[in-house]
Amino acid sequence: MKTDTHQVPQGEGKGRTIVLTLVMAVITVVMFSQGKMPQDPKEMIALVLTLLFANTLFFLLLYTGRTDRYRAIYFSTFAVSLIISFVSHMFEARGSMSLSETKILQCEVPFCHLVIPMTLVPMAITKTIIFPGSLLGKYASIASMFVIWIGATLALGRGFCSWVCFYGGLDDGFSRVLKRPVIRNINPKWIYLPFAVLLLVALTAAVYLSPVYCSWLCPFKAVTEFQAVTSTKILIQTIIFVGLFIGLVIVLPILTKKRTQCAFLCPFGAMQSLTNKINVFDVRIDKEKCVKCKRCIQVCPTLSMSEESLEQGCARITCMKCGKCIDNCPKGAISYHIKGTDIPGKRNAYRLLFLFAAFLFLAIFSSHIIQDGIVRVLKLITTGSMIS
Amino acid sequence: MPKIRSIFGYMWAGAAIIVVFATFLASDFFSRALVASSGVKISPWYSGGEVVQTLDHGSYRTHVHRPVFDALIGEKDEGFIQVNWEPLAGLPSVIEESFDYSGDGKADFSVRVDTKTGEASLAPINPMVVSIRKTAKLDDGWMIRVQLSRTIKKDR
Repeated sequence: MKTDTHQVPQGEGKGRTIVLTLVMAVITVVMFSQGKMPQDPKEMIALVLTLLFANTLFFLLLYTGRTDRYRAIYFSTFAVSLIISFVSHMFEARGSMSLSETKILQCEVPFCHLVIPMTLVPMAITKTIIFPGSLLGKYASIASMFVIWIGATLALGRGFCSWVCFYGGLDDGFSRVLKRPVIRNINPKWIYLPFAVLLLVALTAAVYLSPVYCSWLCPFKAVTEFQAVTSTKILIQTIIFVGLFIGLVIVLPILTKKRTQCAFLCPFGAMQSLTNKINVFDVRIDKEKCVKCKRCIQVCPTLSMSEESLEQGCARITCMKCGKCIDNCPKGAISYHIKGTDIPGKRNAYRLLFLFAAFLFLAIFSSHIIQDGIVRVLKLITTGSMIS
Repeated sequence: MPKIRSIFGYMWAGAAIIVVFATFLASDFFSRALVASSGVKISPWYSGGEVVQTLDHGSYRTHVHRPVFDALIGEKDEGFIQVNWEPLAGLPSVIEESFDYSGDGKADFSVRVDTKTGEASLAPINPMVVSIRKTAKLDDGWMIRVQLSRTIKKDR
């Protein structure tokens, strides 16, 4: 029997795709190069490759109508490039990935968005940021990360976790290693754990005026920077974060095909679920088209689709707008949606507007990191070392 | 009404794309504006607090920070005071200095720091001065944090 699976998702026509890709190409050339061509050949190669990479993926996103597949390639490349670029920077600046006490005392620790949920209560009450970073100017300053967070929240809401977060591409990538999951039955109640973690870390950070999650739980220290082991306490912290990285970012995503760190631990993601209310884009289900095959429930990497979602016609608040359910729905019943408009309405227009905002954010935010990653790899090939 | 909601929806979605551009094109401006308008600073538990006194010794300077007892609301019983010496090139091999952080005209503690070995010792005079919390060599100098306590124990 012939099924109608081939009819969805529908991409844009060839002419329309080319025109829109040209628009994206012009924007990315300007934004990636910042109006000047690099003199160094390696940097020039990196710029050209990054532009080709971005615009090829954008073309494919539009032409095939598939979102998640091409988003994931870009998103995971961003995460891997960040590790290459960041770690190389750390070795150049400090000679190792470990964070010295001097850098902490001089408030020179790079800030990342995962700290934001812990800083809000102390900032509101004491007007201070409980993090040993620099407010302005230096590499990954606190204010610049706040601006990125506010912009991404306004533009994408919880879409941050699938389009902006420079760590998310790791468990996203590992969740695609196996074709079928080894662990299938995961209690959906796990999705509430990040909210508990958020409450816990926000309260403890407020009481102790210290970013508790960074000190004790953040798995991504394993691939960025961590405190030099100089005491038993730091040794215990190191064992915890390395364990969490191996477990939640590598092993469990492979075995479950879910983004376990993002879905079951990350307090920043939980906060984004709450701030998502101010964002215009969401994922909706056309109840008339839905045949309740539950394919979306199976494939959702964050357990954000449930039978209740199908009944209610919308994804759970933990939805990261990755597009996997949309790509996999055999009836084309799931789509990106603009709040206030009809369902199903003009699904291609909704998707296009969302993709423009989301893809632009990902492309611009990642451009220098991916370029630096390529330069480092070229340096490794030509000189045998990634660092200067 | 549904049509108005729909128009607002599209306008909001269009604005999202403008927000993306604004985020990156005006990042420096927004960063500075955010810091200036909010008036936020780095927590004194990390920065050491504001410098309240600078003593010039000719080849080097001593920066005395305010005592830090800050809590989320009110103050904690346990805190510290930070002292920095800079520049590194002008520091003597041994620094010995007394400090009056309480402002009563009498020294509260004196410290001795060997800038070659990093060894430091503390002579508490005020009973609120507890111990050396941290000594560290910075990029351009040395610093010390002295533990302070507002609960004076009998055995101290």
